Amino acid sequence: MRLLKGIKIAVILKIVLVTIALAVLGFLMQAALLAGDTQIGIFFGIAIFLIALVYFTRISIPLKFFLPGVLLLATFVITPVVYTISMSAYQYKTGNILSKPEALKMLKSNDAFAQVPNEKKFDLKLGWCDEKYGDPKDVANAPVCALVSYYPDNIYFLSTATTLTPLTRDRIIFNKVGLPADVTKVGAKYTWEPFYEDEYATFDKTIVSTRFKYSKPGTFMQAEGYSVMAVYAQRIVYDAKADTFTDIKTGFVYKDNGRGNYANTKNGKDVMYPGWREVVWFENFVNLVNDPSVRDPLVAVFIWTCIFAVTTVVTQFALGLLIALTLHTKMRGRWIYRSIIILPYAMPSIMSIMIWGGMLNTDFGAVNNLIGLLVGHPVHLTWLTDPTLARTSVLLVNLWLGFPYFYLISTGALQAIPAELTEAAAIDGASGGQTFRKITLPLLMQMLSPLLISSFAFNFNNFNLIYLLTGGGPKDTLSGQSAGATDILISYTYNLAFNKGTQNFGLASAVSIVIFVAVAAISLYGIRRSKVLESFV
Amino acid sequence: MFSIKKVAGIAAALGLLAAGAVSVPADARAKVAPKILTVWADSNRAANLIKAIGTVAEQTAGDYVAGYKINVVGYTGFDTLKTAVDAATSANGPDIIMGANDWVPTLAKDGKLAQFTLSSSAAKNFTANQLGDLSYNGKLYGVPLDINNVAMLTNDDLTTVPTSFGEMVAYYKANKDSAGLTRGLCVAGGSMSWGAAGILSALGGSPYAMSGGKAKITGAPFTVKTFAQNVKDQLLNVDGTPNGFFTDSDSNCKQDFIDGKVPYAVIGNWEWKDYVAEGFDMKKLSCVPGIKVNSCGAGFGSVSGALLTSFAASAGDDNAAKSFLNDFFGSAQGAMSYEKYEQRPPANKAAASIASPALKGFGLAASKASIPQLGTFLNGGAKDTTGLVLGTKAAPGTKGADVPSFWDALPALWSALVSSDSTVRKDPTVASQLFANIMAANAAHSVNN
Amino acid sequence: MIFLKWFLTKSWRHAIAWAVCFFALFPLYMIVLTSFKKTTSLQVGSFLPTGFSLTNFNSLLTNPTVPFYTWMSNSVIIAAFVSVVSVFIGAASAFAFSRLRFRGKKASIQLLLLIQMFPAVLALSAVYSIMDRVHAFAPSIGLGTIGGLVLVYLGGAMGVNIWLLKGFVDSIPIELDEAARVDGASPMQIYWRIFLPLASPVLAVVCLLSFIGTFNEYILASLFLNDPSQQTIAVGLHGFISGQFATNWGPFAAGSLLASLPIVVLFLSLQKYIVNGLTAGAVKG
Repeated sequence: MRLLKGIKIAVILKIVLVTIALAVLGFLMQAALLAGDTQIGIFFGIAIFLIALVYFTRISIPLKFFLPGVLLLATFVITPVVYTISMSAYQYKTGNILSKPEALKMLKSNDAFAQVPNEKKFDLKLGWCDEKYGDPKDVANAPVCALVSYYPDNIYFLSTATTLTPLTRDRIIFNKVGLPADVTKVGAKYTWEPFYEDEYATFDKTIVSTRFKYSKPGTFMQAEGYSVMAVYAQRIVYDAKADTFTDIKTGFVYKDNGRGNYANTKNGKDVMYPGWREVVWFENFVNLVNDPSVRDPLVAVFIWTCIFAVTTVVTQFALGLLIALTLHTKMRGRWIYRSIIILPYAMPSIMSIMIWGGMLNTDFGAVNNLIGLLVGHPVHLTWLTDPTLARTSVLLVNLWLGFPYFYLISTGALQAIPAELTEAAAIDGASGGQTFRKITLPLLMQMLSPLLISSFAFNFNNFNLIYLLTGGGPKDTLSGQSAGATDILISYTYNLAFNKGTQNFGLASAVSIVIFVAVAAISLYGIRRSKVLESFV
Repeated sequence: MFSIKKVAGIAAALGLLAAGAVSVPADARAKVAPKILTVWADSNRAANLIKAIGTVAEQTAGDYVAGYKINVVGYTGFDTLKTAVDAATSANGPDIIMGANDWVPTLAKDGKLAQFTLSSSAAKNFTANQLGDLSYNGKLYGVPLDINNVAMLTNDDLTTVPTSFGEMVAYYKANKDSAGLTRGLCVAGGSMSWGAAGILSALGGSPYAMSGGKAKITGAPFTVKTFAQNVKDQLLNVDGTPNGFFTDSDSNCKQDFIDGKVPYAVIGNWEWKDYVAEGFDMKKLSCVPGIKVNSCGAGFGSVSGALLTSFAASAGDDNAAKSFLNDFFGSAQGAMSYEKYEQRPPANKAAASIASPALKGFGLAASKASIPQLGTFLNGGAKDTTGLVLGTKAAPGTKGADVPSFWDALPALWSALVSSDSTVRKDPTVASQLFANIMAANAAHSVNN
Repeated sequence: MIFLKWFLTKSWRHAIAWAVCFFALFPLYMIVLTSFKKTTSLQVGSFLPTGFSLTNFNSLLTNPTVPFYTWMSNSVIIAAFVSVVSVFIGAASAFAFSRLRFRGKKASIQLLLLIQMFPAVLALSAVYSIMDRVHAFAPSIGLGTIGGLVLVYLGGAMGVNIWLLKGFVDSIPIELDEAARVDGASPMQIYWRIFLPLASPVLAVVCLLSFIGTFNEYILASLFLNDPSQQTIAVGLHGFISGQFATNWGPFAAGSLLASLPIVVLFLSLQKYIVNGLTAGAVKG
């Protein structure tokens, strides 16, 4: 009975929790669908279905453990990764970031016409007018009507998309600052009625899409805010059937070039912007191999990334192990040493990296000062601007950040090696060095190899360190280097994708796939070799 | 015992019921009046704009734009703002961005900006150059906010305002030990690329030449030989090592200048108050003096702008955004109320007329010699079609490689000139020639676009 | 003689320990030195304190545009929530991988390990646009909110600590499970009644490590949270030294000191457990 009672509470608790989760997700699904985001709505729907299925049936016990993690993983890791990967098949860079319909819309609305030079800019007051229907407040029927004026020349008129009605000055009612504010009635009829305040907001799209009639042929007026009217003329014309743009003045025809832009049929280099993301399949990958300006820096960066990751793991592990061995005995003050040594690990690394950046400054940094103090004269080592020194700095700072971790795990591993083993070796006449090489080290390596592999994988993509310490630099830009001396693959790719000037997201995605394959292959090899997975599974 | 299936049924029903209950208010998402006009800015500008117009809660509808309230979103820094702008889409983008002029070309190319026309009364408040700064391909995309420029400040406790570059170097050499100087001149305001342009120009190395208000786009922008000779004469010892007048980084420049360890510093017009607070005299502002007596190095003078986005149209806020640009940022009154907090030299002439002496000092430095900060030059994007632009290192097969932008090339030139073991520096002529080639390629590119 | 013996056997140990301690402490000393200086520069005139001033702390704590306490509490709340939930999710996964039999187990664990190796920084734009769409209908968990950031952090919860956790799960004798199973306990019951209580010390350690990891995150936090009152301490403090105009090392150092102190103290006081936890993954009983 007691057991049953326990189960009941657990079951009830489960039902309550799952119900709450379902309710929240259901609410979100509804909100998403209401907001018109069907994709996300469907995603929530699937999540709800899966949760109900997994937790209310016995379809799969492992999934009961995995589902929350899997759902989060799918949403925030796998989806973005898949999206990023798919972008590698696109021409997707500065100037080509919209979808084609968006770009077309921009070209048709924003770029298709240009301001007519030397035309007046008129004062504007928006309202409704339609003498035919009598009441301009009958919004359903009355068109938007602009009261347009240019007081230096005493020009006043009403303009809609189709009509233009000149007014004489005496029909205008001026406001306190002397701008036209209203129009007098003719008989009992309104001629024009100004917008109510909230109508500006409500009818924004109508106002923007209205081309108000202007007296000169081939031109029209558009509202530029609530109080300015400017004169425009068509510059290019879109032919929907042929999917081409024609420049009215030059007669050039711009055709979809299949690479995300409308290009001049006479001169392929003359393209219209904005362009759009266009599928170019493997072009980005082909460039990685064929284009030396892309390939060469990538190869150099890849080599350095491997050196960086391996050296980091080796130096961190070596120093950590050295300290662990040193302190692996009873000695005075050991806990003080230990507490101090793990401080770099305890300190939030993001702050340590930034402080190191300051300390390595050539002219004022504490490191140069300290060296100067030791050698007796000021030194100006260019820690962060000389390629070799910058690489040294990166490794040094990373050593500082990481050795306590390896010290801790080495200590733990040393403690786990049964003392009998080493004692037995000593009895057999092995020297301290032999014991270490033949017994301790192999055992340590066996125990620690998964952690070494994961440390390698972590450092292979150690973005924070490079980004915050050197930014990937230094690089000899003048000689055309596009990658810095300390750039690792991830920082290099980040710059490709999120550079401040021009960005090439398609290429960056292609590179990130290469990185992914490389790290995955190296790690899988390591995992296989060390047989970690076997013991795990 | 429970039947699991029954329980599941009940729970699922409960879940859906609960979802239904919670989601009832979702139907009440009716149109909210007034609508919201969204402005993105970095946190400094955002804070100042909020001071000028108030937060959404404080605004009474119709104060600035009829039927709208203005929502100002501040981003931690300029870079974060740019990252957000780059990621923005029509679904989430703002209506207006308060950004830098050199963002205009790329954002316009990306289709993120929308063209717009200033009213005559607003247009009168700005110069053609300022409007040109915010234009791309002949279309205007925003309203100039304030002038960004730098000027050189002399520490008058140490020395007098110099009239030539040589005078500064001479002072530094004579006093570096006795006065404990850490260097002769440094850039305190803004990044190296921004501030150092005037210094290089003073030495004869302007990134691009201007004639008749337009950038010169053919040939080398400056005489390489003269520039290299000036660098040798002014910055290097006889043995070719740097003489210490410049250092390779500008960290601590501001503090050192304030502490009297640097006699001259290039400061930005956004930070002059810090120096006034330390007792500096803004009358000692000048341009960076050139090699010839009483000549001036041409630094960047540009404007920041309130830019109209194409997202405004998709959100149905286009005309309202234009109205805010014209009637608030474009008007003298609006500009003054904003610059009262921003404290930079306003671009708006009417607002500038009431500026403080310090701001006028910057204005004077700018007027003596300044070149517009042309985004097409600065952001690069040119390809090395001849394979001759870039240096020897990248030589074989560099055809089609990206030519570095000005922003990248200038710091590289800088470290080539002053960093003691730079490979390019062996002869300053080499570095200068590379820099000139890069700028020529970028200039040619900027015309094609 | 005693001294000689000590000298031969122990002195080199002390020498190494001293050298390493110096290496470990040097940057930390610089932080302390800089934060108590009067000026805001990181420049060192002397390695000895030349004066004592609270200027930097004042400018950090009393400046109305620098909501230090808010940043700090944001960071703590985010990191605490993420660490607890992610450990919970991670523990469940590790348990299932270790103790349950199911098809495709090896493939799925390899997949899980591999996914983590994707350079996540590059998926930034995609994450950004997803959260932005979420923001459109659920403003409290979308872009610009702490809730949204927490969700994104939790995306990696399943895989991040799985190495540490799996080692520990493996180290719990399987006989315990089998005994329970014979008594008729379901896997869920084994998980809740046997595994979790046994694993709680390790979970606490993993939780702490995850806390620190989240506390350290910079890129996502800086992109996601624009409102200064929502920012984390890492983003807020970075502002001091990444300013377009000047670098304020003083307040930065003071802030780092205050922000790190609680974590360092926590870490030191729990170091014994941390060592056990870190090595549990590798060192099986």
